Amino acid sequence: MQISSHIGSQLVDLCSALLLLTCFAIVAQRRLSACVDLFALQSAFLVLTAALVAFLTGNHHIYIAAGLTGLIKVIIIPRVLKKVIERLNVKRELVMNVNVPAGLLICGALVMLAFFITQPIIPLGFLLTRDSLAIALAIVLIGFFTMIARQKAVSQLVGFLVMENGLFLGATAATYGMPLIVELGVFFDVLIAVLIAGIYTNRLQDAFDSVDTSHLTVLKE
Amino acid sequence: MIEVLVLLIAPLLAGGLSLVIHRSALLHAINLTSMSLLVVAEIMITRTVLRDGPFTALGQLVYLDALSAFILFIIGAVGLACSLYMRSYMDEQVARGVIAPGRLNLFFFLFHMFLLAMVIATVANSVGVQWVAIEATTLTTTFLIAFWRRRESLEAGWKYLILCSVGISLALFGVVLTYYSSLHVLGDVSEALNVTQLLPVADRLNPHVLKLAFIFILVGYGTKVGLVPMHSWLPDAYTEAPAPVAAMLAGVLEIVAVYAILRMRMIVDHAVSPAFTGGLLALLGFASFVTAAFFILIQHNYKRLFAYSSIEHMGIAMIGFGIGGPLGTFGGLFHLLNHAFAKSMAFFAAGNIHRRFHTVEIGQVQGLAIAQPWTAMALMIAGLALSALPPFAPFVSEVQVVTALVTQGVPGQWLTNSGAMVTLALSDQFSSLGLTGLFLLCAVLAFSGLLYRITGMVWGTPPEGIVRGETWTLGHLPVVVLAAALVGFGFFLPQSIRELLEQATQILLLH
Repeated sequence: MQISSHIGSQLVDLCSALLLLTCFAIVAQRRLSACVDLFALQSAFLVLTAALVAFLTGNHHIYIAAGLTGLIKVIIIPRVLKKVIERLNVKRELVMNVNVPAGLLICGALVMLAFFITQPIIPLGFLLTRDSLAIALAIVLIGFFTMIARQKAVSQLVGFLVMENGLFLGATAATYGMPLIVELGVFFDVLIAVLIAGIYTNRLQDAFDSVDTSHLTVLKE
Repeated sequence: MIEVLVLLIAPLLAGGLSLVIHRSALLHAINLTSMSLLVVAEIMITRTVLRDGPFTALGQLVYLDALSAFILFIIGAVGLACSLYMRSYMDEQVARGVIAPGRLNLFFFLFHMFLLAMVIATVANSVGVQWVAIEATTLTTTFLIAFWRRRESLEAGWKYLILCSVGISLALFGVVLTYYSSLHVLGDVSEALNVTQLLPVADRLNPHVLKLAFIFILVGYGTKVGLVPMHSWLPDAYTEAPAPVAAMLAGVLEIVAVYAILRMRMIVDHAVSPAFTGGLLALLGFASFVTAAFFILIQHNYKRLFAYSSIEHMGIAMIGFGIGGPLGTFGGLFHLLNHAFAKSMAFFAAGNIHRRFHTVEIGQVQGLAIAQPWTAMALMIAGLALSALPPFAPFVSEVQVVTALVTQGVPGQWLTNSGAMVTLALSDQFSSLGLTGLFLLCAVLAFSGLLYRITGMVWGTPPEGIVRGETWTLGHLPVVVLAAALVGFGFFLPQSIRELLEQATQILLLH
């Protein structure tokens, strides 16, 4: 029993670490469609983590959340984003406010910050998924940073979705899933948010002939 | 429990009907019926709460106490005022061809869904469901803000969607952390996020986790309130949104977000000292108040002027809640109510001015008293009230906050690196006086900035080509009622509202 829980804990840590790794890949990736693919991969790791937690703890309602993640974040949202990118005919290179090496360094610092912040509260967690909370916060912060560092509307959206993945990892790993009604609501909100943002990118494209949000400077003091 | 059902079903049904009905008169009739039902349900709930105290309904899903009843009252009052105002406003936009008649459906559908989301956020027992509802308000309002589909409105809508969604995501992390702490006390039950379950055990929750949770929630919902430094979306959104939508955003949505912060604070305060949460609230409050007061001085666009004035007043309310105590809390709540009334009135006036002058530049609007006497009066009253002059009600609530500031000072308790708590001596005589001085200075700045701009618009002669005279429409009715309330509340607060405010204050103070 002791050994199996130890291995389980290692496996969950491994999966969380893979999620974090894909975050770095997204920050380093310049091609937009590859960013979307990486996001789908990250979501797949998230499904794996959630399924693992569900299996190891016997909390069956996490399977539902894992299944929904698979459906919405691995299949539907990447497809929507790909459609948007296709229609927009976005240029290969992403416009970034921060270059890749500096971005990666900042992300490394953010990971350390996340571990530092969560250090006092980690011992409270379940043994199985103890370190995942810190990783979850790190992913949220990196997603946040991606949104600031990139200018294209779609890549900002990817940053937002990475944040959501981090939050979901936190909810699954640290607390073995939120109450089902909350989880369903969160999925619904994320899905609608992406659809709305998709509509926006179309309208922005029509109005500004660009989705570069640095053109959105009509409104200022 | 029928009133709780009405509260939820009326906007849902009205939203559904709005999608299939095409006649504008019928759409307005549905809107007004649904809003009136909402107001009746709220009055019934208020009476129940005042008589029997807090209660839950629909199998623990809904929790209502004096605080949520008070917020519901604001939603109902401002919502009804907006619905009346929309009757003439939207019809004129359709007649002028600004809105294709078909898009009126979409407008009303989104408006009702927005209302529904705010009602759910107010009555939800679970802080998780509350989060879902507050994110839903972002999603429903973003297209309302971008409703004119100009480049500027698309920009404002996109900014709003992205900034608020990100802010709200941070709040979700706070909710996850709250759940994390409650699991250890309550066990893995689906009710572990319910206020009714959390409050009794709140003093046993882990203070470290709750502190972190509160910071995330404050930043997250603070974005929605428009607290500095998370406010950059707000002036754009308020400028670009159609007038009734701006009135709803400023008058109701901000207040629902403040409510979400206060709810969380009630739980956190049990485990952590109120000085910690109060210090943070007062800090953001002062940042917003001071920044907004200076930005008010340099505005040349009247909608932006009102937007910054919103940030200013939310800052004042936050300072009140941060100081705490009976006076500070009561003043903060009362200020929320006054701000909701005065700001929705200001945006109604702004909408009327924009329809006549077709500009948002203050310099191009002159002689309002001749061109639109009713609107001029509304603008003057709203402006005087927002500058917190006597005899208007905001003066009373602002004095309450200042008095609390002078007598109690701002609490400050911060976490240092070593994990030890350090209580800053902010409550001593000197710093309390300094902060009061800062408060009064900014109040004077905001007052002079606002009044200078508004008098410039009201007096003088209207430019060539502007139609003179204003006919009475249904849209003027809410303005008159709100103005009467703003003057009346300054002298005499009706018994039921006073009781509601006092009980809500008690709820927030009960530690």
